[in-house]
Amino acid sequence: MNTKFSKFLVLFLAFALIATLAVGCSSEDEPEDEVTDEATTEEVVDEPMSDIVAAMVTDTGGLGDKSFNDLSYAGLEMAEDELGVEIKALESNEIADYEPNIDQLANAGYDVIFTVGFLMTDTTDLKAPQYPEIVFGGIDQFSAEPASNQAGLLFREHEAAYLAGVVAGLATLDTDMDDRINEDNIIGFVGGMDIPPVEKFEVGFTLGAKSVNPDVQVISLYVGDFGDQAKAKELALSLIDQGADVIHAAAGLAGVGSITACQERGALFIGVDADQYLTVDGSGDVMLTSVVKRVDQAVFQTVKAVVEGTFVGGTNTEFGLAEDGVGLAPYHDFEDVVPAAITEAVDAARADILSGAITVGASRDAL
Amino acid sequence: MAGKEAKRMGDRLAVAAENVGIPFISVLIAIAIASVIIWIAGFDPVAAFSALWKGAFGSGRQIGETMLRATPLMFTGLAVAYGFRAGLFNIGAEGQLFMGGLAAAYLGIVLAGLPAPLNIAIMLVAGAAVGAAWAFIPALLKAKVGAHEVITTMMFTYIGRYLVSWLVTGPLKAEGQIPQTEKLPLESTLPRLHEVFAFFPDSRAHMGFIIAIVLAVVVWWILKYTTLGFEARAVGFNPWASENSGISVSATTVKALCISGALAGLAGVTEVMGVHGRLFDQFSSGFGFTGIAVALLAKNNPIGVIFAAILFGALSSGSGTMQLEADVPSKLIFIIQALIIFLVAAEQLAKWIVGRTRKGVTESA
Repeated sequence: MNTKFSKFLVLFLAFALIATLAVGCSSEDEPEDEVTDEATTEEVVDEPMSDIVAAMVTDTGGLGDKSFNDLSYAGLEMAEDELGVEIKALESNEIADYEPNIDQLANAGYDVIFTVGFLMTDTTDLKAPQYPEIVFGGIDQFSAEPASNQAGLLFREHEAAYLAGVVAGLATLDTDMDDRINEDNIIGFVGGMDIPPVEKFEVGFTLGAKSVNPDVQVISLYVGDFGDQAKAKELALSLIDQGADVIHAAAGLAGVGSITACQERGALFIGVDADQYLTVDGSGDVMLTSVVKRVDQAVFQTVKAVVEGTFVGGTNTEFGLAEDGVGLAPYHDFEDVVPAAITEAVDAARADILSGAITVGASRDAL
Repeated sequence: MAGKEAKRMGDRLAVAAENVGIPFISVLIAIAIASVIIWIAGFDPVAAFSALWKGAFGSGRQIGETMLRATPLMFTGLAVAYGFRAGLFNIGAEGQLFMGGLAAAYLGIVLAGLPAPLNIAIMLVAGAAVGAAWAFIPALLKAKVGAHEVITTMMFTYIGRYLVSWLVTGPLKAEGQIPQTEKLPLESTLPRLHEVFAFFPDSRAHMGFIIAIVLAVVVWWILKYTTLGFEARAVGFNPWASENSGISVSATTVKALCISGALAGLAGVTEVMGVHGRLFDQFSSGFGFTGIAVALLAKNNPIGVIFAAILFGALSSGSGTMQLEADVPSKLIFIIQALIIFLVAAEQLAKWIVGRTRKGVTESA
């Protein structure tokens, strides 16, 4: 029995090996034709209007985060369509990838490199002076001394979050609006990491809510990263248990977990970065609105400036309500639910911010 | 006598051939399967793997990058392998790594001003000690009350990680917006290889790589030629027999897990001293856990760990070029890693099955 078994095993393994190798080999043959095909077609079709090549390095969230990495890429795609720019995205699997990814793109001859995310600030500051011919755009990065070829692209998220706070602060009082609104005057915030760009959401949201509902209690909790959906769900559940009926999550991909929590326990949700009604499938039943951050616009405008030769570096540029860099997404399924009192209050707050009558604080000192 | 010697030699060669051959074949099969996946996904596997090779070994700079990424994996691979040899599964190398990193980030600032060699020596020893200390409590729990080290070391990983997370956002946070510790002064950092060896090309690879290789040899020597290593192996092989022949199982367990923790702690120390120059929340991308895979691929052989770590380092450093030149998403590297581990583990499974049937036959005979 022993010998029989080993013989069988040997035969089986040998067969498996040959099968895998055979498949492996054939697969290695075929695509080579494809490549030559592609190469020839590319030569015919690809006639870029501009000879600028633009690229981005994602942070460790990578593409598919339904948040600022995807939005940056959407900006590059816009540039590809409208300006004929050739584009590329390199994903970082770990923090150690930031530097080599930038080096790779620089050595491959890219003219514009976007480094996406706050955590890449140091690396961008280090690399921009090393490649003075290349334009660096740092999403969410405030550079203390930006090089002449470097632009920090920042957002006044707190302005849009303030509007979301106005919506949430009034909605939590209005028990007639939706049966998920309870008697408690409590709303919740779920943040990704406790870092300045996220703090801006928390502060704006809180200030906005208090401006229309001074007694409202805003409970803020932090996930600790931007990927842990399970934890973001737990945090949202605990907020709901404490009586929160409207929750705003600024936690990147992790925030999707908070949406699930709202759906399971019956609370309303305010999304972040993108219009999450559109990007998160099946979230319409709880998605009151989203705090939109137009990272795509910032990327596109920067590429456009480079193409047109009007790019000015050495700056930290802020995109706020006035620049259309941030805003509030449509109410979508709640269009007929949200009372006029709320929409009017939002319009009034927006007008006040634009006119300068209100300056929204960006850090907890303003609370 | 000579015949016996020759036979033993032959047996040794056969074992060595198996230990090298099976991981090697596993890697080849993993690459073959990954090629199919790349091809099905609509990319060109030949272009992908040649770009991967180029990114990992194509130039001096890229070789340095591969060495840089292999360094922490060598330490954690050695840590896990040493534990395994003593029959302990140190799944918490990540936590010991964080504590080692914390020690380095703190001491590096405190010791500023001392001469560099002294500074570096103190930081390495202290980091290893803190890593060992972090493994000591789980080790003691295992030895005294039999609490399983898989649970306890893992729990200690959470404690260590969140402790670091709190310290870098609070008490140890440097000036500025980013949650991270103060940048270490030059005398508290490990020199890069090209700064020490003139022939070495400019890259980010640092002295930690050399330290790791030296340690791999030391660990190999300990396991093979010292009482300490013999006891660890004996307990790993059969704790009851060891106890009966006069080896204290609990003392050996504590020693082995602490050595494992010290090795993992050094991974954190060298990352902080050699790569980042400071500590922050995400300074390790799971090196402690990848170390388990490295140890597995190396079949817990310290010398094998060197090569397994270099392979994983190469996959990591080559992935960028693969993305850039062949458009293959760099996340594919994780699939290849998983396939390698799966195949190595499956080989153990096959062996286990054969072993079982053999045992069954001899017992019934």
